Amino acid sequence: MLPGFKLTLGFTLFYLGLIVLIPLAAVFWKSSSLSWAEFWQTVTMPQAMASYRLTFGVSLGAALVNLVFGLIVAWVLVRYEFFGKKLVDALVDLPFALPTAVAGITLASLYSKNGWIGQFFTYTDEHHEVQSIFFSSRLGIFVALTFIGLPFIVRTVQPILEDIDPELEEAASSLGANRWQVFHRVILPMLTPALLTGFALAFARALGEYGSVIFIAGNIPMKTQITPVLIMQELDMYEYGRATAIAVVMLVVSFVLLLSINVLQWWTNRHNTHNLA
Amino acid sequence: MSVEVKNVTKKFGSFTALDNVSLKVESGELVALLGPSGSGKTTLLRTIAGLEFPDPGDAQVLFYGEDVTHIPASERKAGFAFQHYALFRHMTVFENIAFGLRVRPKTTRPPEAEIRARVDKLLHLIQLEPLAKRFPTQLSGGQRQRVALARALAVEPKVLLLDEPFGALDAKVRKELRRWLRQLHDEIHVTTLFVTHDQEEALEVSDRVAILRNGSIEQIGTPEEIYDKPASPFVYDFLGNVNLFSGRVKDGAVVIGDTEFAAPEAAGEVDSAAVAFVRPHDIRVTRQAAGPALAATVIRSNAAGPVANLELKRLDTGELFTVQLSKELFQELQPKAGEQVFVELKNVKVFSDDYSI
Repeated sequence: MLPGFKLTLGFTLFYLGLIVLIPLAAVFWKSSSLSWAEFWQTVTMPQAMASYRLTFGVSLGAALVNLVFGLIVAWVLVRYEFFGKKLVDALVDLPFALPTAVAGITLASLYSKNGWIGQFFTYTDEHHEVQSIFFSSRLGIFVALTFIGLPFIVRTVQPILEDIDPELEEAASSLGANRWQVFHRVILPMLTPALLTGFALAFARALGEYGSVIFIAGNIPMKTQITPVLIMQELDMYEYGRATAIAVVMLVVSFVLLLSINVLQWWTNRHNTHNLA
Repeated sequence: MSVEVKNVTKKFGSFTALDNVSLKVESGELVALLGPSGSGKTTLLRTIAGLEFPDPGDAQVLFYGEDVTHIPASERKAGFAFQHYALFRHMTVFENIAFGLRVRPKTTRPPEAEIRARVDKLLHLIQLEPLAKRFPTQLSGGQRQRVALARALAVEPKVLLLDEPFGALDAKVRKELRRWLRQLHDEIHVTTLFVTHDQEEALEVSDRVAILRNGSIEQIGTPEEIYDKPASPFVYDFLGNVNLFSGRVKDGAVVIGDTEFAAPEAAGEVDSAAVAFVRPHDIRVTRQAAGPALAATVIRSNAAGPVANLELKRLDTGELFTVQLSKELFQELQPKAGEQVFVELKNVKVFSDDYSI
């Protein structure tokens, strides 16, 4: 074993404990101010159930869409040379760097019924008013969550794609594989672990997203209210116990989902971690 | 029946990798492409595979008479093995070998049972049956290269192309594997070209050797022809260690310093400046000159290894040269550093002075 194991493991556990586990434990502790019945009533109330479905559903959808388009962006950035490539490469990181409220306001104004994009996608509602299809709708939330999730896929896939030896593709085609077979039988399986990592990161980020969603979502309970907004609403009413109870549900479900993605990722990458028996 | 390239030129920017190269490999032959790095040998191999395409012109690549010049690699049926194996990491040994069969269109793809049978047969051929379920990262370098060969053979290629197949292996495995390759070739007789920069490997394994230099084929012939009758100083030098003695050539002889040595190949030459090439093992060292000989001083001797090496210095010009002699002769002679000896040159090969290596 490498020297320094105990020291670095100790540090890792201490650091994770301080930065991650203690605050999370505080959430659980705070939620315990409710009785079991109150807890159950809070986390299963229709408004909460609707927000879970919305949050997890739209986050999943956004992460899946990013999986496809992030891969395409990474592919273009790695495989082709074109004018302005460096600029495009830098643009990819923008959703990382932008304060989420700025992103939210920008998206809201772009996709509003008078915005550059929103004006082309309008309908007339039951009150005979023109509305953007993005406003106060799942579609708007989906747009915001796709925006903030894109860099995760691109940045995890890009280095792996850069490292793929062109000889592997040459070997595959000399064995008779056409372009599509080379991609889906040789390249894609090698990218799968990175794609899963990027997917997990984008998904996790979307679950917790607040700032970029609230301006476009309309936050209508039972319809377009995401769970983080519901938690904020409870906090605004000084219902700390109820807010943390809902937070605990999100935490547990997110953890289980991320853990299973990690297991899946480990499984797809097993041929790289094998040692000679 | 042959694999043939005609008039192939390939430039990368201003660098000419192949300069109007033509080569014909007979069916079932094992031909080595030998040359220093940058000589174009790998580019030639890749052009045959369809991984590079010749510059426009009258270039042609023919597989048994069929013009494949413009056919992409995936439709050429040329098996290719890379120096670093290029095995698919995420597939087992078995699936790596089966790859070429599985990617065939439905109409020509063999049924699953036949794929299994063919892969098992190849696993037997490369003696790796017990490792079928391993992943490439769990294999040694020599095993990986054998898997790469089996994978290329699985598609029943019209020609097998090996790019420095043993280049990444250590010396011992290299020797084992090249003997194995020769045996394999004697068993299955697939037309094979392999690239190497190791002259020993080329001379030991192949039926014929093509020596490349600066994008052209300098000489092609059997290992004996190439070794015994090199067409140029470059070939002579590339095939092994050599000592150069400048002097003058005349009818049937070469004059070095004040001594005239027989050079039967130079019969009919007119008196002119020339360079005599002599292999270190073609120099006889004695204490008493029994014929034409040069006087020299022993600088250093080294008897480690299967033969002994002497470094000598000519008395007249002070030039250094090396001599190789058997252990027995070395024991008999027991040369000491600083003592004076005589050297007789045998099998002298004379090239006119304007050649350069």
